[in-house]
Amino acid sequence: MVTEERKKELEDKIAKSKEVIRDAFKKFKPEELAVTWTGGKDSTLTTWLVKEVCREDSIEMPKVMTIDEGDAFDEIHAILKEYEKKWDLDLEWCSNKDVIDAAGGKLGADVTVADLNETNQKEIRERLDYTGDKFPFEAESWIGNHLMKTVVFNDFLRRNNIKGMFMGIRWDEQPARKKDDYFVLRKGDSYTPVHTRIQPILHFTERDIWDSTLTYNIPYCSLYKKGYRSLGAATTSVKMSDIPAWEQDLENTVERAGRRQDKEKAMDRLRKLGYM
Amino acid sequence: MKNTILITIDTLRADMLGAHGSKAGLTPFMDSLSANANIFTKAHPTGPYTQASFQGILASSYYLEYGKEKKLNEDKTLISEVLKDSGIYTAAFHSNAYLSHFFGYNRGWDIFYDSMSDNVTDMYPFIRGSGINGKVKEFLKNYSFSKPLFLWVHYMDVHEPYIAEDSYILKIDPKLSISKEEMFRLFKDVILKRDIKDKGAVNTLKKLYMAKVAETDDYLKDLFNIFSTHNLTDSSTIIVTSDHGDEFAEHGGLSHDGKFYSELIDVPLIFYDRSYKPSRLDTPVSLIDIPPTICSLMEVDPSPSFKGKPLYPFEDISPYTLYGEAMGKLGNKEKDSDRPVYYMIGDDIKVIYREDKDSFEAYDIEADPKERNDIQDTLSDNRKEKLNKFIKRKDR
Repeated sequence: MVTEERKKELEDKIAKSKEVIRDAFKKFKPEELAVTWTGGKDSTLTTWLVKEVCREDSIEMPKVMTIDEGDAFDEIHAILKEYEKKWDLDLEWCSNKDVIDAAGGKLGADVTVADLNETNQKEIRERLDYTGDKFPFEAESWIGNHLMKTVVFNDFLRRNNIKGMFMGIRWDEQPARKKDDYFVLRKGDSYTPVHTRIQPILHFTERDIWDSTLTYNIPYCSLYKKGYRSLGAATTSVKMSDIPAWEQDLENTVERAGRRQDKEKAMDRLRKLGYM
Repeated sequence: MKNTILITIDTLRADMLGAHGSKAGLTPFMDSLSANANIFTKAHPTGPYTQASFQGILASSYYLEYGKEKKLNEDKTLISEVLKDSGIYTAAFHSNAYLSHFFGYNRGWDIFYDSMSDNVTDMYPFIRGSGINGKVKEFLKNYSFSKPLFLWVHYMDVHEPYIAEDSYILKIDPKLSISKEEMFRLFKDVILKRDIKDKGAVNTLKKLYMAKVAETDDYLKDLFNIFSTHNLTDSSTIIVTSDHGDEFAEHGGLSHDGKFYSELIDVPLIFYDRSYKPSRLDTPVSLIDIPPTICSLMEVDPSPSFKGKPLYPFEDISPYTLYGEAMGKLGNKEKDSDRPVYYMIGDDIKVIYREDKDSFEAYDIEADPKERNDIQDTLSDNRKEKLNKFIKRKDR
């Protein structure tokens, strides 16, 4: 349980987030907005906040989207299913089926570029400039991440004519986020539609997330209780401790240390050691 | 049940330790530890480089059992998997890409830190010993000790490019004045090219290597201090070893290629446990026995896939034949044309077979420890046949 003083701090942070969300509803119509929800702690809090504002202001809850990379934890799937129903969400499950089919649904299987549809081939050849014939089906590798997440995300925007996307990004997540703003306009190109990324929980720290989640009974995936700090793809996330995430030393350890590392990273290290 | 801690130091030659006869004074901490431990004076890994030798150290298996494979074979079992299944908490902290998640070494660990998501530099292409110690310290601070612990810590600091600190160089050769840029140039121009023509350069590289050994000895000392604050030095068996050595032109090369001479496969092996009577053990032993030994210490059944057997109790070990295998690559790049190379040690004779040359070599390692005189012409058919049997076992 948090102190009264701490509770006041959290209330202020939540009020700031709601202000950002209300600004978004002033800029866009509800049907032009959507929420990305991975089932992780940050996007669950974001979804909850948007839902709260819609309830308080009697606005229609925007569409919610989640991306299935073909390598999700069962526990993530479970929380999405449970709260899709409990919160009465219009949840769209998105995935790059073409790539999953080409890999026979098997992680690590080689995908032959020529077997993919025109859009995916174009992304690989023209946008990523990848010239190989094959690549491994792994959600968090360079090509995998692009095809399974970025391409699916852009496709969702295009199909639903979405102008603004709510996302659960935080400043303290990684140094690269430090300069982010609450509203970020993506200018778009031939692959990505013009859209605004709305980031209402930017000012939350990992500690704020947990204190809010536990104080306001916001649901969380059971894996955090088992010690996971950050949830990526199932086969590539590891827990850093066996105590619940919120009891760990959040301030002095790295949240993403438990995430998967890429083949490219390992290969780069071996090159530096003089092996390649 | 006791905790077990396995500490592996990449690329550490046995002859760098005072306990193995070095007069250079590089390893005061390891030497004081050795004086109070059970140490094996003739310990050998199953391979001359990480990929081949860690298959023995962590999976009690030989590298080429299923042919040459990039990742650890699914049918092999890591010691972490066996222990975790038995309710032991398993934690790993290392920075060797060949032992990373990508290569399959993450199996069976409650905590697996391989540093691959951290940034490193060209001069220090790994998280250094101080950083690894910091991770271990952080982990131990949070660990509940509600279960017995198996902890594996691996240091990369002795591995090339040997960018050494002045304070350690001073201990090795006060007259050696060399910038870090020059050290890095030696790595690029001499080690990577395996160019041993310039004896002065090779000599300097060996001094830098020795400075890195001295640096790592200090990391080990710091680590033991961290253990002490959690009473782990009193409640654990601590094993210290290395995956392979390093060559400085002893047999025409540099670094650690696909060869099986003493500079590459003579490594330290120390068992430190306050409750054991210290001893020096001269029976040759293979690091393939480490996983079953850990099982024995932690009173857990070994995996049926393990090829080694327990070295414990130490005084009961009877002499046996040691084997190893690796791809016989020469130079820093692997080639499709590389063929396997094998070794066998028994009765003080080392036999090496290189498939690319289809030839045997043999050395009397007691009389000729530096392996200068090839005695393969005196080799009995019996011995050749024995090594052949090991080589052919895969065709079963």
